[in-house]
Amino acid sequence: MITLDTVTKSYGAFQVLKGCSAEIGRGEVVVVCGPSGSGKSTLIKCINALETFESGQIYVDGMAVRSANTDHSALRAKAGMVFQSFELFSHLSILDNIMLAPRLVQKRGKEELREHAETLLRRVGLEQHADKYPIALSGGQQQRAAIARALAMKPDVMLFDEPTSALDPEMVQEVLQVMMELAREGMTMMCVTHEMGFARQVATRILFVDAGEIVDDCPAADFFAGRCSARAQAFLRFEEAHPS
Amino acid sequence: MQIWSWHGFFTYLGSPYIFRGALITVYMTAVSMVMGFLLGLLIAVMKRSQRRLLSWPARFYVWFFRGTPLLVQLVVIYTGLPKLDIRLSVLACSIIGLTLNEAAYLAEIIRAGLNAVPTGQIAAARALGLSERQIAWRIAFPQAFRLIIPPLGNSVNGLLKTTSVTSVISMEELMQRSQILVQDQFMVLELFSVAALYYLLMTTAWDFLQRRIEHYAERPYRRQQKTAAVEAIEFPATTQDAR
Repeated sequence: MITLDTVTKSYGAFQVLKGCSAEIGRGEVVVVCGPSGSGKSTLIKCINALETFESGQIYVDGMAVRSANTDHSALRAKAGMVFQSFELFSHLSILDNIMLAPRLVQKRGKEELREHAETLLRRVGLEQHADKYPIALSGGQQQRAAIARALAMKPDVMLFDEPTSALDPEMVQEVLQVMMELAREGMTMMCVTHEMGFARQVATRILFVDAGEIVDDCPAADFFAGRCSARAQAFLRFEEAHPS
Repeated sequence: MQIWSWHGFFTYLGSPYIFRGALITVYMTAVSMVMGFLLGLLIAVMKRSQRRLLSWPARFYVWFFRGTPLLVQLVVIYTGLPKLDIRLSVLACSIIGLTLNEAAYLAEIIRAGLNAVPTGQIAAARALGLSERQIAWRIAFPQAFRLIIPPLGNSVNGLLKTTSVTSVISMEELMQRSQILVQDQFMVLELFSVAALYYLLMTTAWDFLQRRIEHYAERPYRRQQKTAAVEAIEFPATTQDAR
């Protein structure tokens, strides 16, 4: 589904990504973890071309990301993204947030789209908030709406960039629940997160990123059983001792 | 000669000649503001462009029209265009001058608004596959517009009074007509008081209108969101627009 082939990126003299390679199959739930500033957010944003990279290549469902004739719109329709700070369009109602891109990008009909949007809102438990504006919702509700917005494009893969980092602890669970359900339904997911509990429960694989390199790429069971690099083990001990 | 004539004051206040002058002032303000806003929007977008071919002409435009007096610009347009064999009415010349001048200031206001749209909103729109043009019209402009309503209001208020500069090319707006009537009975104080009162009326009306526009634009950003029914009672016109 996603192929990362020696992806390299620098900000001036600072090399953020030092040749990252990985292969993510359909239906896999991959958790990307690692210390702050390790490049994991940058890596995930390269996949839908929100960030550019200098060398290497990424393929999403066979489509090359770094190419002069990449159709960014088509690429981004395949890969839905959820952001740390939700980023619901503040001037649009929740329903309009969900319907905007499918209407403009995919030119889908209003009737079908409205039905789809309402189904998605029910799925994330927000059917009663369809006509509200984002500011009237709690952080957890906003993030669930943002997930529904990404799903409305019918993506093949969902990218999550620290989806619960900006949430109060009591709201983290409601968002994780929605994500777990999504994983159970077979959605291909790639998730940057510090939620090790979530990783334990749903991840099929862990990518441990440190200093711009994918240090570990192993099944989640192995990772949590300690069959990973010393750096990852130290990171894991720290995270378990300081749950976010 | 008496110091103040109430009779003169009320006569001029009720004068259709002065009243029509005020209408012309409103008309010039409205047309120049709308056209200046559209031109300003274009210049603001150009100035923000990465391409120098776009940003440099925009920078030159703002530099030139903010750096020279409106009075000079009006005279150059009024006396210059006929030499190029372009013959326009005084009103047309006035509106062109006001528009070109106002656009330079509005471009800077609009640019500030566009710069203030959170980058995360743009990134989210990109991630959903919207094109740059769709992002501009659907996300950036609407969000920027809300932010710049107060400075835009300043501009409208200022423009209402700046239109009086067009009297130098003999445009018969409120101020020019007041000055013409001064020649008649030399009631300077009475006439200028009437003019001031008209300007106050016009700016007050704008204040009111601006509040309505702000109220409408702020609707998505009020935490206490009223139901549609309550809105319909309080603000019938704006609520219908929103549907």
